[in-house]
Amino acid sequence: MPSDKNNKIPFNEDNYTHNIERNNERKLDRRGFMKTLVGAAGVFAISSLPWGMVAAKELMGLGEKEYPHKKITDVSKLAIGDAMNFKFPGDHDDAILIRLSEKKYVAYQNACTHLRCPVFWVKEEGEMICPCHHGKFDVETGVPTAGPPRRPLPEIQVKVENGAVYAVRVKRYEV
Amino acid sequence: MKFKFIGVALLCAFLMMNIVFTQFMVHQFYYENYINVLIFGGLNIVVFPLALYTYKKTKYEKA
Repeated sequence: MPSDKNNKIPFNEDNYTHNIERNNERKLDRRGFMKTLVGAAGVFAISSLPWGMVAAKELMGLGEKEYPHKKITDVSKLAIGDAMNFKFPGDHDDAILIRLSEKKYVAYQNACTHLRCPVFWVKEEGEMICPCHHGKFDVETGVPTAGPPRRPLPEIQVKVENGAVYAVRVKRYEV
Repeated sequence: MKFKFIGVALLCAFLMMNIVFTQFMVHQFYYENYINVLIFGGLNIVVFPLALYTYKKTKYEKA
């Protein structure tokens, strides 16, 4: 809308403190709103790209690679029923190893599949618990049993060799 | 509904689709169904030109 104030700066107005015409200056009109929506669609499109690229990379077989076996701990240092944290496969991928019996060990990546809070092993209750929103996981399988998480914790395959526990690989989900 | 708001409604629908596709994409990623990730990511990208086209078609609509 043309205005006699256009191109006359400062325009002739003796009001220097309330110089925003609130009824007009900050109005979001229909077209502006549509522009915002289109921009948001663009942001969604661009933000999909990295996910797609990582997925494509995994599909090309890089995800199946076996990681170098990593020693977690000595058998003698972990009592039955206890748990310990370690990093696998990368230095920033937290994981938890739980010794369930003399021979049986289980290990999972311990980022809760809800919002990635760390998951803890509660020995007394025999459950893995995410303290953030009280998610619970079955210790035998990693399947969520209560709370908001819907996906199982990624399992890490371990093997015992020469009195030490090694992390071997991260198990793929079964579809 | 006034005719001039059809574009707004369409764009809102597109954005809703974006949100749904993104949600699916992220979940399928963590389930490691990478084909589905590519499908939903692709849909997300296709929606943007559609939205742009809709905007260009409807920005001058009058009531």
